[in-house]
Amino acid sequence: MGRKLIKHPVSTGIYLLFILLIVVPVVYTVGSAFISDGSLGKNIRLLDKETFLLLGKSILIALIIALLSTLSGTVLGFSLYKTRVKFQGFFKVALLIPLFVSPYIPAVAWKDLFFTVFHTTNFISSNTGVIFVLTTVFTPLSMLITGSAFAAIDTRLEESGLMITKFGNVIVKIVLPLIKPAVLSSFILVFIFSISEFSVPAFFGVRVFTTEIFTQFSAFYNHSLAILQSALLILVCVILLLSEKKYIADAPFLSVSSKGTSSKRYGKPVINKLSFLFLSVWLFISVILPLIVLLMQSFKDGTASIVKAFELLLPTFGSSAGLAFAGAVLIVIVGFAAAYNSTIKNKKETIKSFDPLLLIVFAIPSTILGISLIKFYNHPGVDFIYSSFAIILIGYVGKFSFISAKLVENAIKQIPFSLFEAAQIEGISSSVGLRKILFPLIAPALFAAFIIAFIFSMSELGTTIMVYPPGSDILPIKVYTIMANAPQSLTSSMTLIVFLLTLLFISGFYFIAKPVVKNYGYAND
Amino acid sequence: MIELQNIDHSYGNKSVLENFSLKIGSNGLTCLLGSSGCGKTTVLRLIAGLEIPKSGKVIIENKIVSENGKIIVPPHKRNTGFIFQDLALWPHFTVYRNIAFGLIEQKEKDVKQSVYKMLEFFGLQSLAGKYPHQLSGGQKQLVAISRSLVLNPTVLLMDEPLANIDVKLKRKILDHIIELKRNFNITIVYVTHDHREAFAIADNIVIMNEGKIEDAGTVEQIKRSGNQYVKYFLEY
Repeated sequence: MGRKLIKHPVSTGIYLLFILLIVVPVVYTVGSAFISDGSLGKNIRLLDKETFLLLGKSILIALIIALLSTLSGTVLGFSLYKTRVKFQGFFKVALLIPLFVSPYIPAVAWKDLFFTVFHTTNFISSNTGVIFVLTTVFTPLSMLITGSAFAAIDTRLEESGLMITKFGNVIVKIVLPLIKPAVLSSFILVFIFSISEFSVPAFFGVRVFTTEIFTQFSAFYNHSLAILQSALLILVCVILLLSEKKYIADAPFLSVSSKGTSSKRYGKPVINKLSFLFLSVWLFISVILPLIVLLMQSFKDGTASIVKAFELLLPTFGSSAGLAFAGAVLIVIVGFAAAYNSTIKNKKETIKSFDPLLLIVFAIPSTILGISLIKFYNHPGVDFIYSSFAIILIGYVGKFSFISAKLVENAIKQIPFSLFEAAQIEGISSSVGLRKILFPLIAPALFAAFIIAFIFSMSELGTTIMVYPPGSDILPIKVYTIMANAPQSLTSSMTLIVFLLTLLFISGFYFIAKPVVKNYGYAND
Repeated sequence: MIELQNIDHSYGNKSVLENFSLKIGSNGLTCLLGSSGCGKTTVLRLIAGLEIPKSGKVIIENKIVSENGKIIVPPHKRNTGFIFQDLALWPHFTVYRNIAFGLIEQKEKDVKQSVYKMLEFFGLQSLAGKYPHQLSGGQKQLVAISRSLVLNPTVLLMDEPLANIDVKLKRKILDHIIELKRNFNITIVYVTHDHREAFAIADNIVIMNEGKIEDAGTVEQIKRSGNQYVKYFLEY
């Protein structure tokens, strides 16, 4: 699709830049673990029994989170897309909130709650606490993936089943097998995100593989071991990713489509009531309760804490929003180039790997991407990147371009190719075709990619904490570093401000997005 | 005159046309008739320049436009119009802009005059400001035809344009196409799988099967064809 509208060199140039700025540092860093600082054998000996036990523990925790998130996400997805539950639109948006805020925010809230109610945080500051908080954080991702799969099931498949067997059998024998690829993908993605997560275990003081890598790198300066451990973690993530590569690489769940679904919805009152109950309870646990706790903690001594938190964080707002904005623009450009490249017919062999590369970099844990960037750019000649905000932007682009590429790619795929052929026959030039046909038709997807990239960049911690230049004021870093030694109420206040700021951006973009979708949404055609 | 000479064409490993040759005379309506997958749309796309033949030549008005894997005259310089099966109306443009878009290099005044002449011919003046999703199926068909005709093509290629509309509307659009034949000095190549449609409007019919021509001639000649496949095809 979209072929011949622009020349290949544009996307090829962006692809080469992506390789040079992001892929090369990762390959260099992982490679150096095996060849620098002595022999491979010497380095391998650094990986002792304790390392593998810690990796095993991290894998186990991630497996449990992936299992629980996928189970609850599938139930939420079913409730939203297969029943006639009330307030579906509200639930669809509200339940996604945990996905858009930094995971340490609910962690702070839950720690506060346990301290307030039980006067101890021993239970939550544990493996169980990490599992619980990350399950609430990643369940919306699973809901998104399985929900889109539920919505995509052709009504006729279910109705023909209902003609010959009962409802339960249709769900078990027809619906669930049809969404199996989505369930597996959800499990693998949540596993990768969980094993890569750094902020929640670090905040709860739970030792896992990512916190160990961070400690070895930043506290003990044992770079060889940190990089070797990173290589192990990359290996685990990439192997898992490749096992379900087809569905994850297509990522049909990352799509902006206002087209109505024709999927069957079940209207039995008992199902609707149970669904409403489950959705409400989940919303209460994952959004409302943490928000209430943060509000109570922030204002328990009057407004002093919130005012102080605001004063501390105010200087970071401008630089963080500016960085997130610049990052989002770059992410959309890279995402568009990759999407355009992957939808061009007869593309050059050399740039076929753009899409898989984005996916692999996306799967690399944030802290490891950060370490790779530091190791590579801390060299004469490229250290101007190391000492500036450019290194943070490179981190953002590496982390989030896959999401942007998939949103744009799925939008381009929905445009009938005949629209471009019609322009071709009428003699419309490449640049006019791009400006007047392609861009307006994918405007909602470009806008959605920008919003998501902006919000994710604004709250990114794993990579940023490794690479941020000294003395720079960046919101998540400031919160994270201050809260280590701050009183509980100040930590809650800062977290509340970040939470509300994220909600403010989401609401602001929602109101900007409405006219964009109205002007550029052609779903009814 | 349109001529396809010894065309071989395939999609991946699947061969669609093998050593295919066809001549289409000027200023008439020729129907390419055949069942799904017989290669009739490929023939249309080869004429338009949307496909390049692996081998063989495509000739329009005595000029070779593509030959042996090379495109010599690009689609927009072939003076052809194309009505796609899904009509391919740009959803973000109004009816007026859909028709005017191909005239982008002309003066605004001339564009307006040409577009309104078309709208008037098809009785679409009141719809100029509407978007495609606000039109009925029949109105969309007429806008798609107008969009092609406004560029004054010498050849109009129609790829099953009536595939998705009801019988009553079909009759109305077919009347428009017959009127078009009378009023415009144009060669029309019309692809369909419905022989009733072909009999209603064609001057000549070419019946295709598995990438080959089974028979060709006027409507009367085809009705009397002794070819077994043609007889079988016309029965259903």
